[in-house]
Amino acid sequence: MNLAILIGVFVGGLVIGLPVAVTLGVSSFCYLLAAGIPLVVMPQKMYAGIDVFVLLCIPGFILAGNLMNNGGITERIIRFANGLVGWVRGGLGLTNVAASMLFGGISGTAVADAASIGGVMIPGMKKAGYPADFSAAVTAASSTVGPIIPPSVPMIIVGALSGISVGQMFIAGAVPGILLGVAMLITTYLIASKKKFPRQKWEGFREVGRSFLGAFWALAMSALIIVGMISGLMTPTETAVIACIYAVIVGAAFYRELPLKLVPKILIDSAVSSAAILVLVGFANVFGWILVSEQIPQTIAKAVLAITDNKYMVILLINLLLLFVGMFMETIAALIILFVPLLTLAQGVGIDPLHFATFAVLNLMIGLTTPPVGVCLFVCANIAEIPLSAVIKAILPFLITNIIVLLLVSYIPALATWLPGVLFG
Amino acid sequence: MQKSIIQSFNAGLVKMTRLLVGLAFGVLIVSVTIQVLGRSGIFDSPVWTEELTRFALLYLTAFGVGLSLLSGDLVNVDIVCVTLPPRVQWFLQIVCAIIMALLCIFLLEPAWRFTEIGAYQTSPALGWRMTYIHASVLCLMISLGIFALARVASLLLEFRKVWEKNQ
Repeated sequence: MNLAILIGVFVGGLVIGLPVAVTLGVSSFCYLLAAGIPLVVMPQKMYAGIDVFVLLCIPGFILAGNLMNNGGITERIIRFANGLVGWVRGGLGLTNVAASMLFGGISGTAVADAASIGGVMIPGMKKAGYPADFSAAVTAASSTVGPIIPPSVPMIIVGALSGISVGQMFIAGAVPGILLGVAMLITTYLIASKKKFPRQKWEGFREVGRSFLGAFWALAMSALIIVGMISGLMTPTETAVIACIYAVIVGAAFYRELPLKLVPKILIDSAVSSAAILVLVGFANVFGWILVSEQIPQTIAKAVLAITDNKYMVILLINLLLLFVGMFMETIAALIILFVPLLTLAQGVGIDPLHFATFAVLNLMIGLTTPPVGVCLFVCANIAEIPLSAVIKAILPFLITNIIVLLLVSYIPALATWLPGVLFG
Repeated sequence: MQKSIIQSFNAGLVKMTRLLVGLAFGVLIVSVTIQVLGRSGIFDSPVWTEELTRFALLYLTAFGVGLSLLSGDLVNVDIVCVTLPPRVQWFLQIVCAIIMALLCIFLLEPAWRFTEIGAYQTSPALGWRMTYIHASVLCLMISLGIFALARVASLLLEFRKVWEKNQ
């Protein structure tokens, strides 16, 4: 009965449009009241959820991404990507994907990627004769690469939930992120060839070199973050703060496009975005605690293992569940609520936690581009000034590509675990 | 008159909260920078930096949550709401804001009790009474609650506009 109250209030809150974090809070509150558990548990669990060492790096990485974005990197990255692949048929579509891959190494969130790259690329592609629905779809689809390639906010959350080091999580996402990007480049090329989309003029190696030099300082930030994390010299929080200082220096001194008077505003806006994630973590921690105390993880594990204990079938079932949930629920909330219960199940059939964490994050990222609640779809449809239904139709080939990559990462653990194994031993 | 009072209250509230959020983030950045510099051998790394960073994060969340409601960072699933007529949308928005405010009001007493529990502990490195740190959850409830009430007031001011639009 109490569990029915929890789930009922949660679903009801989502339907009437309560923020996801508050919905988690209200449903947990109602459960505690119904179960007669002292309400002081709620602030206690919220505090414990936010006061986690690993989460300290979230504001830093968000700030570093915002500083770089305001410091003129978007155009430079797009120019470099265009120099590399713009001359192939459907060149601007390929540029869009390549730019998302490069930008992913800086921002760490898909929505920031979709808004930044989309703001420049979608109008540019429309002007060059690409259909608006394709321009919006390729931008939305490729933005999901961002949170897979390090740094990644969802990976940090998973690190906090599972105890896996954030450095290992970041590195585990590198190969799947590149694979996803390459698969999307191929899809874009195939669509472009079929629909005879235009290509850009080959500008020569000199332009590639020049645009690389222009984007060098922006791209070097990704290297700084990765080296900082895998060398063990810095904690994730320290790496994030160093990345912020680096971003200010590059934006203000090298690119000269970041007005220093804008920095306080960027700092506060980044803090506000971080607060939204952290309060979600806090409320979700209470909700997660209730699920654990109701033995939901064990119940799910038992129920699934009663159907099958075949590892490959369990992977399929987990993926189907996460794809379904990802369609309706905010990524971080879904991760916090479902990660621990599903990890119990995954470990029960011998799935490596690092492998499980990687394909779970990849799976939930796909949810950002699936209707009805795909945030990136809304962002790109708005920029392209077209109805959502047109983008949903145009994104289908990319969704199929994403699901193929998801299945590859799910069934070939080495794609996620090989590189961390080499670098961390 | 009423409108201008509510608007200037909201503007003042936003300004003050942004200042507090900026301050918390500033403390976090300075603390981590000291930690990094200490690690690099410029001076001995103090033991309190990690603790101060965690406390700053708690207050950053507490002060920032209200602003995140205002900025739209506190995401919701509005797929059902957007299909409804403006008057119903307005009604649901006001219901949500009231639920948020009520949640925060109901949680004030438990958050206060949690703050009091802190009196029995001190932080290991800084030696601060944990009352001041546990109070961050109380601040979070106050911040979210005030912004939710401010939203109720703003929505009530929009009532006539929504009504006319619906007509």
